[in-house]
Amino acid sequence: MLNDILRPQTALFEGGFQTVLRGHENRNRRVVLLKGNLTANSRSEARGVSARVGKDGLYGFASAAEYSPEAAARVLQAAKENALLLDRHAKVRTPMPPALAQEMIPLNREIADAEQKRIIEVCKALDDYVAKTYPDLLSRTIVYTEDSQDRIVYASDACSGHVTSPRCYVYVMMTMQAEDGTPVELFKALGGSGCFDDRFSDLTQYYPQIEDLYKKVKDKTHGVHAEAGLKQVVLGGMMGGMLAHEAVGHTVEADLVMGGSVAGPNLGKRVASDLVTLVDFAHTYNGAPAPLPVFLDDEGVKAEDAVLIKDGILTGYMNNRETAEKYGQRPAGNARAWTYADEPLIRMRNTCILPGSNTLEELIASVDDGYYLVDSRNGQADLTGEFMFGVACGYEIKHGKLGRALLDTTVSGVAFDMLKTVDMVSDTVEWSSSGFCGKKQMIPVGMGGPCMRCKIMIGGR
Amino acid sequence: MSELNKKADFLESVLKAKSVEKYALSVRESEKQELNTEGDAFKLMRTVFGGGAGVTVFAAGRKGTASGNDLSEEGLTALVESALAAAESAPDDPAHDIAPDQGVHTFTQGAVKADFDTFFDRLEELQADIAAEYPCVHVMEMVADHTAGHTIYRNSNGTQADSVSGWYDVTTEFSAGDGEKNTGLEYAFQRLDSLEGKLIDLGDFRRKFDAIQRQIDPAPLSGKFEGTTVFTPGCLLDFIGMTLDNYAGSGVVLDGTSLWLDKVGEKVADERITIGFDPFDSRIVCGERLTGDGYLSEPVNVIENGVLKAHMLSLYAANKTGRPVMKSSCSDLIMKPGTESLEDILAGIEKGLLIGGFSGGQPGTNGEFSGVAKNSFLIEHGRVTCAVTETMINGNLGDMLQHVRGISKETDDSGVFSLPYLAVDGIVISGK
Repeated sequence: MLNDILRPQTALFEGGFQTVLRGHENRNRRVVLLKGNLTANSRSEARGVSARVGKDGLYGFASAAEYSPEAAARVLQAAKENALLLDRHAKVRTPMPPALAQEMIPLNREIADAEQKRIIEVCKALDDYVAKTYPDLLSRTIVYTEDSQDRIVYASDACSGHVTSPRCYVYVMMTMQAEDGTPVELFKALGGSGCFDDRFSDLTQYYPQIEDLYKKVKDKTHGVHAEAGLKQVVLGGMMGGMLAHEAVGHTVEADLVMGGSVAGPNLGKRVASDLVTLVDFAHTYNGAPAPLPVFLDDEGVKAEDAVLIKDGILTGYMNNRETAEKYGQRPAGNARAWTYADEPLIRMRNTCILPGSNTLEELIASVDDGYYLVDSRNGQADLTGEFMFGVACGYEIKHGKLGRALLDTTVSGVAFDMLKTVDMVSDTVEWSSSGFCGKKQMIPVGMGGPCMRCKIMIGGR
Repeated sequence: MSELNKKADFLESVLKAKSVEKYALSVRESEKQELNTEGDAFKLMRTVFGGGAGVTVFAAGRKGTASGNDLSEEGLTALVESALAAAESAPDDPAHDIAPDQGVHTFTQGAVKADFDTFFDRLEELQADIAAEYPCVHVMEMVADHTAGHTIYRNSNGTQADSVSGWYDVTTEFSAGDGEKNTGLEYAFQRLDSLEGKLIDLGDFRRKFDAIQRQIDPAPLSGKFEGTTVFTPGCLLDFIGMTLDNYAGSGVVLDGTSLWLDKVGEKVADERITIGFDPFDSRIVCGERLTGDGYLSEPVNVIENGVLKAHMLSLYAANKTGRPVMKSSCSDLIMKPGTESLEDILAGIEKGLLIGGFSGGQPGTNGEFSGVAKNSFLIEHGRVTCAVTETMINGNLGDMLQHVRGISKETDDSGVFSLPYLAVDGIVISGK
């Protein structure tokens, strides 16, 4: 954990500049067992200090791979010099965003470190369990991955604090041979925010999920290609989360709005059916901790929820301090950086479509000829809201009942068109939090959603 | 002796003091100066003083790896202890190893010292050129940086490498618009070691700016057909990466799921296809000199004249499977260009798609892919006609390389790869 050596350095903050000084440590642990072979076994720590100094809408940033008072003084000076250098080439100067109420955000939790030995033992135990329980697998992989951020932030005219964000997962990957002899695979991420002991003291809690994974990959060995075209589908909760993040979330990041995203001209307008409400949660969902809680961002903004779509109407964007001022909205703590060497960018946190009133069974029973798309492999979206999700797991729906499993396919659409076709929403939300979102830097994000009935383009042979 | 050498000496002394007989270590320092624009205005300038160290230890045949950026004596000592802790509980697996002695080498490459005044001028010139020649292009963000780095590598077999390198990167993220009509995002990237000449003349910048302007008013494609797909070099980069990983990567050979597992020496692609990695090619800026396993990097073809020459195996995967190691970390991708012009290839296509980008799911090991064709155009009767939207393509990576219609003589040389246009038959193209 970082010791607070930065507070005295705030005396170096200069009047007339908006300054944020940040101490930052990232920790990673990784173990990979491929068919029982240990192919990765590594530990890493990266610690440093950065400063961002702003004046007249121009920013200088500097970072050093060293966490010391001297390094803090050095990056403060270098950041100021960069801002002044930029000023010599500036075409546009704008006022800095107004000062925010100052508050000290308390440490949310300590980060505990597990010995590598224990991590390897858990991975081996899980690998042994999978190998013995499911001997017909063509291949299996167990991946333990842990990353954490420990940040101390001091802002000249906003909040300051010491906050941490640990998370850890075990990915279980299974490969089987399909009827035509080709391999098919699926994986499941087990774990969540917190440290090793919070998540992996009792492995038996994960056995039902591993059994479900095996059943699905086995179903996939008899899988069929989806029929291409516009189809009525039930999107599973994981797909709903992907939709919330990729298809809508990115278009309402204010820097992308400035870049011409489809959300720009649609603020205040209907972009979805009235069953759709989308919120980027800061740290609490439904009275419990959100999957990846964020309490303070890297501009010194105290994190709060950002309501993006309310009953189908686009109501707001995700902002940094500057874009919030530009669009007349309230900054909610979305300016996040991944490492000490990164400047804060507008990022999502825990982006979720809120649940409705139907059950999943009702959704499936209501579809005569379509697909139940359970889980996604990846997704991408564009400024236009045109999106694509890779579908790793899905089933046919025929006359209201589940049919054959699907081979890998892809769905696509235009978010604000597709969301208007949502006409049933399930009453439970499924979250995922193991992924990274890429946008110049990586950043951990949570995404969640209910099951939704809608129409979507599906790719197939 | 440089400060970095002293760090390496100290790290090595800690390893020896702890009786580690087999190890590899690296220490590095770097400085990046980075300019960021918002629209066409400079917005942020960053200086990143970087550095770090990594160590891999083999304790009684057990391997552990640790990395960090605390280069103090305490930090480097803790790093070795962390690696030893990782190794302690690892299984004894003799397949883990480091390359034999490769000798002592010094490498200096690229533009080690930045000329930031000229870089500023070139970037302002690029902005002016875009505004003058492509008035509908909206540059959302430009990130332009110079990075200089110094890395020292040593291992217990005797290999020593002292590498100094420097380069400029320019990345633009842009769309195009006309009134209320806007396109999706497009990216262009170039790595360079010289600031001679206009930036807009480099790599694929002009083609991408021109293409995005012609994307402003796309039409959805109707129906489904099997046609010829022409991959632009930038899009081809993704497909070649997926193909090689899926069929020739360490993971799929190690677990036996590769469909090319026993195909070395056999034809897996059209005979015009030659794909490999060449860090010494003149079009590559600051190519790799030492692999992650500690081998001196060599030019290597994975596919040569359609024949699979090698799997892309790490030393571990090679030892584990009894196959040859690849003396490349698989960067610096080169595909041999064809003899036809792109125009001639297009002229022979009755109906198909010119695809500028692919937004799709990561294919499984069977190679089946499907996804959205981004920044793409319909080809009809030998001509590129309208821009299309909401268009999907489906196919198989392995089949693709066997159904080649043509390979262009034009290439995109981005500084990190050199690739031509590739025309392929048998891809299913579907619209609404």
